Amino acid sequence: MKPLMKRGLFERSPLNRGMRGGMAAKIVGPWDWIIAPALLSVAATIVLATAFQPFGWYLPEPVTPFLLAFAWPLIRPSYIAPFVLGALGMFLDFFWGAPLGFWTLSLMLVYAVLVFARTYLIGQEWIIVFGVFVLTEIVFFSICTVFMTLDTGSVPRIFGVIEQAIATGVCFPAVWYLMEKYLHADVRFQ
Amino acid sequence: MSSVSYGDNKHFEHLKLPMTWAVMGVVGLVCIVAALMLLGDRSEQVEADAYARRQGFDSAAGPVNNVLSWPVHKVGDGTNWLDDYLFAVSENRILRKKVAELSQYENMYKQERDLNSRYEKLLNLRTEPELQMVAARSVSVSRGPFANNRLIDAGSKKGITFGNPVITDQGLVGRIVGVSSDVSRVLMVTDVTSHVPVMVMRSDARAMMNGDGNTGYTKLDFVRGKDSVREGDQVLTSGDGGIFPRGLPVGEAVKGVDGVWRVRLYSNRAPIDFVKVVKFQDFSQLPDASTLLRSPPVSDILPPPAMPKVDPQSQISPQTSAQISASAVATSASASSSAAPASVTQPASRAPSSSASSRASSAAPRPRPAAPASASASSSSAPALRPFTPEATPAAASSSTPAGTQP
Repeated sequence: MKPLMKRGLFERSPLNRGMRGGMAAKIVGPWDWIIAPALLSVAATIVLATAFQPFGWYLPEPVTPFLLAFAWPLIRPSYIAPFVLGALGMFLDFFWGAPLGFWTLSLMLVYAVLVFARTYLIGQEWIIVFGVFVLTEIVFFSICTVFMTLDTGSVPRIFGVIEQAIATGVCFPAVWYLMEKYLHADVRFQ
Repeated sequence: MSSVSYGDNKHFEHLKLPMTWAVMGVVGLVCIVAALMLLGDRSEQVEADAYARRQGFDSAAGPVNNVLSWPVHKVGDGTNWLDDYLFAVSENRILRKKVAELSQYENMYKQERDLNSRYEKLLNLRTEPELQMVAARSVSVSRGPFANNRLIDAGSKKGITFGNPVITDQGLVGRIVGVSSDVSRVLMVTDVTSHVPVMVMRSDARAMMNGDGNTGYTKLDFVRGKDSVREGDQVLTSGDGGIFPRGLPVGEAVKGVDGVWRVRLYSNRAPIDFVKVVKFQDFSQLPDASTLLRSPPVSDILPPPAMPKVDPQSQISPQTSAQISASAVATSASASSSAAPASVTQPASRAPSSSASSRASSAAPRPRPAAPASASASSSSAPALRPFTPEATPAAASSSTPAGTQP
């Protein structure tokens, strides 16, 4: 009687099927949290590169793929995300005219570190995540500065690096939005 | 990877890969590829081959950027209209003042140009080859600290080649480093890989202008000599190395808070929307050295100068001719001193003196063109010459602008 009841209640009951059906509707595919944000990042980079100075001011130039390099490993380790992130880095290398592999390598290092730090960060308050984001950003731009100095023999202007870091840091709400939307969206991500 | 027997004979369904380590394998693979690319990249040497692999991307990025940036351009038109509307009166006052100042410089410039063309002809100088320019619109720009590049909508179809200098109406912007059929990539002078040989106009001192990612200022390194640079000195391209033609305006010298000399770029005075690509080939691109000597002497380009009128009726004594030659030397000395920068900075005080000298030129003799030895020998028996007054030759003045040095 007991096995039958257990089977009826928890394995093949209409309630169980209904729960599975609800969960199936919550499946988040790579398009939602990888491909679409990547395309938005590319579009934002191209639009902000427009030769246009409103009231004499330059448009900001944030490194938008860095936001994804931070958010993706925290949402879920993925086999697709590193390849897409590498493609985004290549895009920056070509579009901004940087040495080939420069942005790709820098972004992948951020991704690699955060894959290991994921278990310590998910579930934290936003202020903690923001603190780690700023720390990661400092390390990221320091790596970029070192790579550029080694590659060209000239030190980039530090104040310009800080400007770009601030422009990127202002975009943190996009990171938090991605995490809030996709971190608990699919049971397979847990 | 764990291999636990579940007793259901489905070994592969229970195969458990440690996700984190597997992802790290993928990350490591991408990192290795990126590191190899970074090590193999030679874009810092600014060579044509280093940028050749980007041609396909640039030719595709140009049209895509035009489509995506269309709304931004529309917003820009709106802000420009608002800016013009709000600041029209104050800008009009500034422009009126500037026109009054520049009209003095215009007169001075015409006189100096005329005088310079005559000196070139008298000295039989060899001018620089005629340079053509191609106008283009800036499509996109990267202005970060690690790369300063620009895409422009003109390419090899319009005759643009690697290394061509790019200027605006204000000054030097950069040079072409990548060319595709319809789009070219401009390496800005502010890029960290940009090194431009320049000179200070006042002291003729040479220096190297290096970019560091700063959008408005570039570093001035390897400045030689004491007091060779002062605040506000005009900096031009020196032409050393043959990459840029000599005399392109770059900016003015300023001293940074860190004590390093920098150049405040003229090109940063206004938005770089439209640029001109100077079809200048550096020496390394010339097929052989003899090509340099094919440029015609200036005497072949300019019309001949007004020759002195020979009056057989008049005879002057040797004493008079000595006075004439002495006054000619004095005239040339005053002309050379007029080219000093100190006098250029005071156009208002120079204008009367130049008009006075033009009045005096009708009475004072001017230097004569050099004649061949045989001609001078034969002229020993010819009648004496009167001091001549050069005729106004507007055609000569219009065609005597040194090509390529005036943007």
